[in-house]
Amino acid sequence: MTSMRDIKQRIENVRSTEQIIRAMDMVASTKLQKARRQLEGVRPMYHELKRVVEEIGNKEEVEDHPFYFERKVKNSLYIVLTSDRGLSGSYNVNVLAHSLKHMNEGKNEKILVVGSKGNEYFKKRNKNIIRKITNIADARVYYGTENLAEWVSELYLSGEVEEVYIAYTRFENVLSYTPQVERLLPVATGVELEGFENSDEKKYEPNLATFIDHVMPLYLHMSLFRAFSEAHTSEQAARMVNMDAAGKNASDLIKDLTSMYNRKRQAAITQELSEIVGSANFLSK
Amino acid sequence: MSEQQTELVQGKKITLNITTPRGEKFVEEADMLIMRCIDGDLGVLPRHEPVSAVLGEGILRIFNDNVEKKIAVFNGIVEIDGTNVNIFSTIAQRPDEIDLERAEQDRREAEAALEASEEVQMRSLQVVLRRSLVRIEVSLHLDDEDE
Repeated sequence: MTSMRDIKQRIENVRSTEQIIRAMDMVASTKLQKARRQLEGVRPMYHELKRVVEEIGNKEEVEDHPFYFERKVKNSLYIVLTSDRGLSGSYNVNVLAHSLKHMNEGKNEKILVVGSKGNEYFKKRNKNIIRKITNIADARVYYGTENLAEWVSELYLSGEVEEVYIAYTRFENVLSYTPQVERLLPVATGVELEGFENSDEKKYEPNLATFIDHVMPLYLHMSLFRAFSEAHTSEQAARMVNMDAAGKNASDLIKDLTSMYNRKRQAAITQELSEIVGSANFLSK
Repeated sequence: MSEQQTELVQGKKITLNITTPRGEKFVEEADMLIMRCIDGDLGVLPRHEPVSAVLGEGILRIFNDNVEKKIAVFNGIVEIDGTNVNIFSTIAQRPDEIDLERAEQDRREAEAALEASEEVQMRSLQVVLRRSLVRIEVSLHLDDEDE
């Protein structure tokens, strides 16, 4: 039987945990607001650039271009975006399981892992991690992804990998985010585009090759930046939702414990009363 | 014919759209645009042929109703299609967004650093060397004639 003191102590414990949970919830929700603004900013740019590079992909003369040509695949680079910290429910597990499944479909993987959670996960499974990035400050993501885009395209052009995949969690709304694995390079050719017509009439200045040389770094940068933003936003949303649930659980628990405590107290008082009444009756006899 | 063309040009305006990663979008109407591409300036009037070009670092000049506006655009690409001009750039700043003091300071620092850099000194030394060699050779020639 738990004593009244034990219950009281437990209530205190749960209450202080609840305070931490509430604080984390608040932090996550402010971060979510910020992340969402950033994400909504980059999305249109990314989609437009994707359309531009895919439009070029529909031209016959780019078939041999290194960024479009489909080489025989020996090694695949995976960029997997996870978080550094936990307490975000199934956020990390989902994207990791999804990318692992993709890798196990006969890919010879080289992994660039972002976030310590992913690092631990792949290390445990003896996967080939070639680079890891952890603890990046939110403010440095933009320029960080620019450098990363350069690194990725060097790796790709030097022939170390023949294709590049990116695994991230796409943010749809606060309650729904889905893990995704997308192929970044080579850029898909022959994609059917809406409203796409008379491709041959379109000109490229100064010429197509120079145009591709300039648009690719920008496209890769925006792709990475957008994926980082999607993942970051999803992470904050997942954490917020989880902290919400945890906060609710904590207050439920406190309520249960308090009523248990009160019942105990009532019982003790009743017992004492009946003892007093009993002894008073005995004495007056 | 030419009159008809001008009429067509005058009847339409260019819709300029600038997209940056921050999602800040400038949507403007314009009669004419002049932008800096990597191989020189590109002027755009309404009904331009469809073309995509690589932008350099420079000033985007927007002419509308005889008013000129300037926007700083650094790199990126432009897509022109008839009356639509879409610019995708990592940086696009209006005059009121530019921190002039900071830019001036950057300029001073960069100029000072450039002055001190080895490359510049090396280049000026090379010029001195080349000129002195030429002078020596020419002066030898003068001696020959004197004899």
